[in-house]
Amino acid sequence: MMETVIEVRDLVNSFGDQVVHDGLCLDVRRDEILGVVGGSGSGKSVLLRSILGLQKPKSGTITVLGQKIEYHQPGPSRCWGVLFQAGALLSGLTVQQNVELPIALHSDMPVETRHELASLKLLMVGLSLSVADKYPSELSGGMKKRVSLARALALEPKILFLDEPTAGLDPIGATAFDELITYLQGNLDLTVVMITHDVDSLFNTCHRIAVLVDGKVKIGTVEEILQSDHPWIKSYFGVPRAQRARLAI
Amino acid sequence: MNNAFLSIESQPDSLIVNVKGQWIFDEVLALEEAVAGVLPEPGQKVTFKCAGLDNIDIAGAWVLYDCTEQLSVLEIESELVGFKAAHFKFLQHIIDAAAIREYEEPDSEPEPRHLIREKVELFGGAMSTHIEDLGAIARSILDGVRRPSLIIIGETIKQVYYTGVQAIPVVVVITFLIGIVTAHQAAGQLEKFGATVLVVDLVSISITREMGVLLAAVMVAGRSGSAFAASLGVMKLNEEVDAMRVLGLNPNQMLVIPRILGLVIALPVLTIFADIAGIAGGALIAVGSLGISGLQFVERVAFSTDLSDFYVGLVKAPVFALLIAMIGTLRGMQVRFSAEELGLKTTMAVVQSIFMIIVADALFATLFTRMGI
Repeated sequence: MMETVIEVRDLVNSFGDQVVHDGLCLDVRRDEILGVVGGSGSGKSVLLRSILGLQKPKSGTITVLGQKIEYHQPGPSRCWGVLFQAGALLSGLTVQQNVELPIALHSDMPVETRHELASLKLLMVGLSLSVADKYPSELSGGMKKRVSLARALALEPKILFLDEPTAGLDPIGATAFDELITYLQGNLDLTVVMITHDVDSLFNTCHRIAVLVDGKVKIGTVEEILQSDHPWIKSYFGVPRAQRARLAI
Repeated sequence: MNNAFLSIESQPDSLIVNVKGQWIFDEVLALEEAVAGVLPEPGQKVTFKCAGLDNIDIAGAWVLYDCTEQLSVLEIESELVGFKAAHFKFLQHIIDAAAIREYEEPDSEPEPRHLIREKVELFGGAMSTHIEDLGAIARSILDGVRRPSLIIIGETIKQVYYTGVQAIPVVVVITFLIGIVTAHQAAGQLEKFGATVLVVDLVSISITREMGVLLAAVMVAGRSGSAFAASLGVMKLNEEVDAMRVLGLNPNQMLVIPRILGLVIALPVLTIFADIAGIAGGALIAVGSLGISGLQFVERVAFSTDLSDFYVGLVKAPVFALLIAMIGTLRGMQVRFSAEELGLKTTMAVVQSIFMIIVADALFATLFTRMGI
């Protein structure tokens, strides 16, 4: 029996008449990379926001590392790192300060140690220290994502949430990012939950895939999901680009 | 020396350090203290035995690595043995990959001579961009007036609603209150001379010539000047302004002109509301507590206050509106990089527009006095 780090039970989310999640259940196992896919409006981001306590669900319970998540209450923020879709770096702070901020808030380390650790995180995600004194607005999209990943990793999290990490990156950058995630996950005992539309990422990086359809989750390994005869899943993996990605592995 | 993280055995030619326990982020402070206690004798070789580690993460591994680095600076050999986790290899990989590890010192202070030159250049550059921006706006106003489009007219009406109609309640309330305050203060002084009835003159002239328009303008600067700067700033940050340019729309025409025109229409109307409310405030006190009858009040207002007083106030309104809208939109368009800059520019917009209103008012006062109006 594998250890479960995130447990979502009977989650219901709706906006007006539109029911996004209808009794959704999801288990995320320790040390896996879980890819989350679904059509536009299927509630991927809402699921992520619910797990992070940024969205108040209509009903249902969410437990992360044994701690129940309450809306806008401090969750296990020491134990998770989040890479938001647009990076969400604080625009008034330099790259170095962005990465140092969580360390400064959660520990009483001396400044030099904090500085060294933040630099280390920047190096870990493949950035050179010459970017450390730049502001987010001076960086390219791919660099912003890397800085944001460095910030997400600043507190040595156990769980890493990634919201479309490779969206907006060129294929080279996206492949490098996927490799980075796999590498970090393999070396840091990380559990990764990744929302993605990038079929290459899904096939190459993810251990399991959770598909959001009809307000519920279909979860399984890539092969299991490909066997599914749900119409949306069939058409999702049936489009030419998905076929090509599948052939490439 | 022994503690929760290290136990040290000293042998003739080597120092054996048993690394144990939790080498994790939360313990970094204690870990740094612990490794500071690793003090080999000259000629001793340090061996870190890591088999007893319960848990290690990047931060812990870094402390250990940093310790070996410092020992190597002192030309002391050290080795790490018995690692369970892959962390160390991982860490070494990172540090090998990055050639520059140390922070480069920032450049030394420039000479004062250069500093002055830099400041002058900066100031000149800022001035020339301001003039350029103003020119571009003036040009697009001209274009917009020559070929008015429906979009601009619709947008202008919307701005009249936001900046004018929605501001009526607050402007009316504050000028009404200021009318009351002025009447009270004037009554206190004028009663001594038995000239209580002059309170009416004072209130009606000061409100129509100065206070009405000034209060309305300051209120609008706070409400709409900030709103202009903030909304345009956010649009700038979201690349909406760039998107407009690419679509062949002139953002100055689409965003700046409707706001300027809207405010130029709205502020004079607000001024009329302000004048009426201010005089009404004065009337409340005059009739309520100074014993002047309503009819007397109206007569006195008609006698003391010419239409020219009213126009003197009103003519200033479009000028103030122009100042508020120009400064607000200009500052908004100058937002380039960050949320912080957005706040900065919004503050600047409000402070500068209120400042410029007062300056313009002083100029008007001098001008009108010279002209004898």
